[in-house]
Amino acid sequence: MTVTVHIPASLRSYCHEDRSELMLSAATVREALEQLERNQPAIYQSICDETGAIRRHIHLFVNNSFISDRQGLETTLAPGDVLSIVPAVSGG
Amino acid sequence: MAERLVICIGTKKGLFVAEGAKTRRKFELRGPFGNGVPVYSSLIDTRGTPKLYASSCNPWFGMKVLISKDLGKKFKETKSAPAFPKDDGRALANIWAIEPGLGKKDLFCGVEPASLFHSTNGGDSWELVSGISNHDHAKQWQPGNGGLCMHTIYRDGNRIHLGISTGGHYLSEDGGATFQAANNGVGAGFSPDPYPEFGQCVHKIAGHKDAPGRLYMQNHGGWSEWTGPGGARPDIGVLRSDDHGHTWRSIAKGLPSDFGFPIIVHPHDPDTVYVMPHEPMTRACPGGAPAVWRSENGGNSWTRSSKGMPKNESYFTVLRDAMDIDHLKSPALYFGTTTGQLWIGRDGGEEWNCAFDSLPPINCVKVAVV
Repeated sequence: MTVTVHIPASLRSYCHEDRSELMLSAATVREALEQLERNQPAIYQSICDETGAIRRHIHLFVNNSFISDRQGLETTLAPGDVLSIVPAVSGG
Repeated sequence: MAERLVICIGTKKGLFVAEGAKTRRKFELRGPFGNGVPVYSSLIDTRGTPKLYASSCNPWFGMKVLISKDLGKKFKETKSAPAFPKDDGRALANIWAIEPGLGKKDLFCGVEPASLFHSTNGGDSWELVSGISNHDHAKQWQPGNGGLCMHTIYRDGNRIHLGISTGGHYLSEDGGATFQAANNGVGAGFSPDPYPEFGQCVHKIAGHKDAPGRLYMQNHGGWSEWTGPGGARPDIGVLRSDDHGHTWRSIAKGLPSDFGFPIIVHPHDPDTVYVMPHEPMTRACPGGAPAVWRSENGGNSWTRSSKGMPKNESYFTVLRDAMDIDHLKSPALYFGTTTGQLWIGRDGGEEWNCAFDSLPPINCVKVAVV
């Protein structure tokens, strides 16, 4: 099923033509990340560390839901869903 | 083209590059590169066409290594950054040191959690150096205030000296294949055993090519009034070795404090060494009066150098990689502060002036003539 991955501005330089969205087919968030690891490794490495864990200051949302409030990486995706990569607002 | 003086200034908000003539009268400042992302280490690689490297330690998106081939007019990411093998279980938290290796394109990289990476192609790919990264001691190292970091890589031919906070000093005498803890005489204030085999909080190690076997160390001092188990440990903060780091002895007598972070050696005289003493509790200039202290006899005695610096009300910190010295005939020292000032000490630190006074907090300073 086709979902849209929203890329934050600071990672768009890793996408062809600085695109803000990628389309991919995945049934869960985990599958979506696996596809990114294969096809967009620089994006994937910016979201996940070497152990596969989502980086501390990165939040993933499916539509308006934080995946930690659903089933985490096993959160299911439906056609037309938007998976958003959101850097946490932090720092000084 | 006339030789230029280049200063890489790694800050909390990215890397700045200052370039000027050898007169050091005026510098053009470029940056910040890696905009908004802390830079903890940089390297001015003068082997062949000069290249500038910097670690870009992004708390959001992970670690990158930046490279510039035009003296810091523009930077790009190397093709890859150090990364632990997928099944290792460790994740890169910071890049603390980038240093040249033996070959023209060889680089070493010290990271947090304390591990060493090696590149043979100018940083485009990296291999974990197993001899230290998977050392039997590694699981017993503990993080210091800055994390469990490998911050010092000092290469002397086939010997490689590493400084780990808090792991201590490790030495390889076979080009990096194997490493041994070499901390005989290096004290630790925070452990019941004042002289453990390893686990010291080494802050920086420096040497000189003309004095093989001689090393200077700024260790974590400030334990002269310790009254806990094991008793006081005065003068463990500034040390010297004359046998390639196998044994160490204190050279801290005469300093106002044996606590500090950087230690550097005069480029033309291995007996001349510089430290920047801080108060151990505040980690700031003693009495609010910053000064670099210089020994011209290998640490037997010290003199204060502060002409031109504030005489009071200055409570900055100079971090472990934030002091360097150029290699001109009459060299100048450079240090960057956590309050964002870059100071230059001409004539080997005889007279100081502030070259930049409002940069972001400075993590590292590297200087070279290119």
